[in-house]
Amino acid sequence: MSQSSNAVPSPLVLPARTAAPPRHGPGRLLERWFAAVTIAPTFVVMVLVFGLPLLFSLYLSFTGWSLNQNLLGGEWVGLANYQDLFDDPVFIGSLGITFGFTAAAVAAQLGLGLAIALLLNVDLPHMRAFRTALVVPMMITPIVGALCWKLLLDPSHGVFNHWIGERIVWLGMPGTALAAVWLVNVWHSTPYVALILLAGLRSLPSEPREAAAIDGASRFQMFRHVTLPLLRPYILVALLLRTIFEFRAFDNIYAMTGGGPANSTMVLSMFTYLTSFVRFDFSLGAAASWLMLLMSMLMCLAFIAVIRRRDAT
Amino acid sequence: MAIVTGSRRTRKLQAAAVYAALVALTIAFLFPLLWVLGLSLKTRPQIFADPPLYLWWPTLEHYADVLSRADFLKAFLNTLIVSASAVLLSLGVGVPAAYAFARFPFRGASLLFFGLLVMRMLPPIAVLVPMYVLFTKLGLATTRFSVVLAYSTFALPLVVWIMRGFFEDLPKELEESAWIDGATRYGAFLRVVLPLTRPGMVAASILCLQLAWNDFLFAAVLTNNATQTLPVLMAGFSGGDSGVDWGAMTASGMLVILPVVIFSFAAQRHLVAGLATGSVKG
Repeated sequence: MSQSSNAVPSPLVLPARTAAPPRHGPGRLLERWFAAVTIAPTFVVMVLVFGLPLLFSLYLSFTGWSLNQNLLGGEWVGLANYQDLFDDPVFIGSLGITFGFTAAAVAAQLGLGLAIALLLNVDLPHMRAFRTALVVPMMITPIVGALCWKLLLDPSHGVFNHWIGERIVWLGMPGTALAAVWLVNVWHSTPYVALILLAGLRSLPSEPREAAAIDGASRFQMFRHVTLPLLRPYILVALLLRTIFEFRAFDNIYAMTGGGPANSTMVLSMFTYLTSFVRFDFSLGAAASWLMLLMSMLMCLAFIAVIRRRDAT
Repeated sequence: MAIVTGSRRTRKLQAAAVYAALVALTIAFLFPLLWVLGLSLKTRPQIFADPPLYLWWPTLEHYADVLSRADFLKAFLNTLIVSASAVLLSLGVGVPAAYAFARFPFRGASLLFFGLLVMRMLPPIAVLVPMYVLFTKLGLATTRFSVVLAYSTFALPLVVWIMRGFFEDLPKELEESAWIDGATRYGAFLRVVLPLTRPGMVAASILCLQLAWNDFLFAAVLTNNATQTLPVLMAGFSGGDSGVDWGAMTASGMLVILPVVIFSFAAQRHLVAGLATGSVKG
């Protein structure tokens, strides 16, 4: 950023050197403010759909507010909503489920995604066709993908139960329900990791690998000591992006389990959704969503730090 | 790419192993969709046949049924309207900003830019709770307009991020010569720069369209029966277990994903760049 600001003359500082703007009249002023004029609509939309709602939700989280009150008519209750959340075993449980679910889903996506990327990177004919077929799950509507899986897992007519010859209620038991939701998220998002890592593999310089081959490195040594370290920045990007997106997982879980059975798939998004739009406790929902915001803000900062460091090199 | 080692025979064996692994993975990843596609082409007794049918004469009766349902067509139209409007709004608002971000670094630009990134990354449910309250109080809730506004939380950052990359890749001499010829910055932008970034706009539009088309959460909260989108309609199928019409559900599901699969293949080149929000240039 700082380098390019030296290279490109800013219209606000040096308007006349590179450009031939209108010499007089209102055009001159518009010209000087080009950046401001072009950014303004984006800034307005950001404030309207993002800044103001988040500020309002911060306010809601400190009040006891219900839908029949005026916007700012809630009674100030301080930290009571946050206190309520931390006294609620379902919320505490959902913290653990969210972190565990996110870690397990991201780990599986990275492992499988790396394997797929390595396979697709082998120089053989027809790789494009495999790549095209393998990325389909990540493109499709998540709700539809989840419903497909729900039919496969159906206790009485699902094909999986037909094959194993039993009538297991996969989505009706806490352990299998959580595993099923995890599996669907892995299925849906592994292609995404594979694509990022494949782009990474394609961009790696070939010299270090050639040098290692000349030195007689085995296939595994090559992967472990040459390819993997070079791929590290891409793995980091994929890891952070998937963590940020799994942390807010909602659609699959809504369609498959709705947070049940016995709250076993109650991730934070589901908890916040049910609190706000089923129980209509917007103040508690706002408090829960602000806690989610703070946690994902930390992940975003980590992500920004990573891509800035990479862009700097 | 891979460094060639070993004799011809071992190379052939290795190639066979790679293909075998890829075929197995492809079958595993596509099986759920293909099985459901199969279900959608079976008659009702065939769907519930025990053991399941693997070969049958396909029927389109469920597709005919779904396409004649008023609620499906209404939801299809709603989805098309809100997705297209969200894309147009985000392009109109975001493309000029992306140009300024790429060419005219101003004070606070990087802060604003990372604000956009954060907007894309934060959990949608966190924005949705206050948004629902505000829209309800403003009388906007359950309108398609409210959904379009909500979609700009992901579409706008995506457009700005992708388009900034495209603008940065253009040589600066383009607009500089236009300026010297007396064009204003606005004229140079509209007539010289913008036409050259049409591929970028197409890619950004397709990616936004896909995300908007697939969205469930915003639409589920911000619409009612008259304004609901396809994913919301689909979720309605997941309610009761026994009463679900499998034929209608599977056929609708396939019709819902058909357009996005087509869009996505059209923009496959840009998928990585777009979905990683530009963090990896593809």
